Amino acid sequence: MPSPIGLLAELTHRCPLGCPYCSNPLELVRAGGELDTKTWTRVLQEAADLGVLHVHLSGGEPLVRTDLAEIVNAAHIAGLYTNLITSAVGLTPQRLSELKGAGLDHVQISIQGVEPARADAIAHFKGGMKMKREAARLVVHEGLALTINAVMHRENIADLPQIIDLAQEWGAGRLEVAHVQYHGWALANRASLMPSREDFERAASVVDEAKTRLSGDLVIDHVIPDYYAERPKACMGGWGRQVIVIAPDGRALPCHAAASLPEMIFANVRSRSLSDIWREDDAFAKFRGTEWMPKPCRGCDRAEIDWGGCRCQAFALIGNAAATDPVCTLSPDHAIISAAIAKDEAAPSAPYRFRRIGG
Amino acid sequence: MTDDAKPRLAPGVRLHADGTKLLGPERILELDEIAQAIVREFDGTKRVSEIATSLAKEFNERESIIRADVDALVKDLASKGYLKL
Repeated sequence: MPSPIGLLAELTHRCPLGCPYCSNPLELVRAGGELDTKTWTRVLQEAADLGVLHVHLSGGEPLVRTDLAEIVNAAHIAGLYTNLITSAVGLTPQRLSELKGAGLDHVQISIQGVEPARADAIAHFKGGMKMKREAARLVVHEGLALTINAVMHRENIADLPQIIDLAQEWGAGRLEVAHVQYHGWALANRASLMPSREDFERAASVVDEAKTRLSGDLVIDHVIPDYYAERPKACMGGWGRQVIVIAPDGRALPCHAAASLPEMIFANVRSRSLSDIWREDDAFAKFRGTEWMPKPCRGCDRAEIDWGGCRCQAFALIGNAAATDPVCTLSPDHAIISAAIAKDEAAPSAPYRFRRIGG
Repeated sequence: MTDDAKPRLAPGVRLHADGTKLLGPERILELDEIAQAIVREFDGTKRVSEIATSLAKEFNERESIIRADVDALVKDLASKGYLKL
């Protein structure tokens, strides 16, 4: 059995922002249901013992947890590489220096655009862009590594060249250009978020040109949108192969969207060790490897490259989590993707359904 | 590569405690034994010429051969964002 290499620690679902493509599930965990510091400390040590190298401290907005520095420190003591994934709202000089002292390795700040009023409108949070700029300056000033994460969709895709310039201007070492993937909140807003294929292809050439031009200065990772791909991604590197997600309430998931799958019961780290869950839990075993695969995945020469794609996408679009990801052009259900593109790429933009608890 | 270049790991990049891989944001780079020995020297104070001299002694190998390995590794790691010069 492979060892996991990454742990996505969703410390909370609370977040000041309301991005309409949030990767959290539609049904959010409330503050009272969150794991405590002591449990996180144990889980992080168990993760390191299991072979995990990176912990991604995410949410929601992890800064709303007042014990964040303690959690960072527990991960650091366990030998994990600590990555803070943040909106930067609340990243004051004092908190940043506390986190650095606790052993934080890296900060990833999301941006929603370039022009502040428009970016703030997408994040549904006034003044956010200004806070992000200031936080980025502090991160670089502290000598910490900075990644800018820009989620791309219809409303900001034309601004990509300026987003690349901004990442450089802010002193980022890395830029993640991540196109919206249509799960949860993003699926609910798909008709307003999906760019045209032409706009996507233009963005792809902007990225290719910038990668060459900025080689050695800025690392650019490009996460292409599933709908415009011919083959699916290896979701989470393959189900139960590389990553464990811990939801705020302690459920251990093979993917951050897995809670959307019905009839699946997920183990909780409150009552079981991470190693026991990884090795023995039925939910992790269910779609691990190639045994579960239907045709055309079964026997496909890409079966161990993309591992059948995304189970949650298969369920969300065709109602069967054990089907080939319909993104694949070989899937018997692929017409559903072509139809979605035909319907949504030119659909008029409606007001967003912003992400909120109780939403 | 000039003799005076002093490579150091980029911000956010560090050697894993077991010494066999570099960890960076969202990335892991497994190092072979030669690369492990070279990367350990990248502390931002040592010049590539000094690194080649000392590793040539340690491995009892011609300095020009080690230097070629060091230069190739520096170039590769810098282009991938793991090193700063």
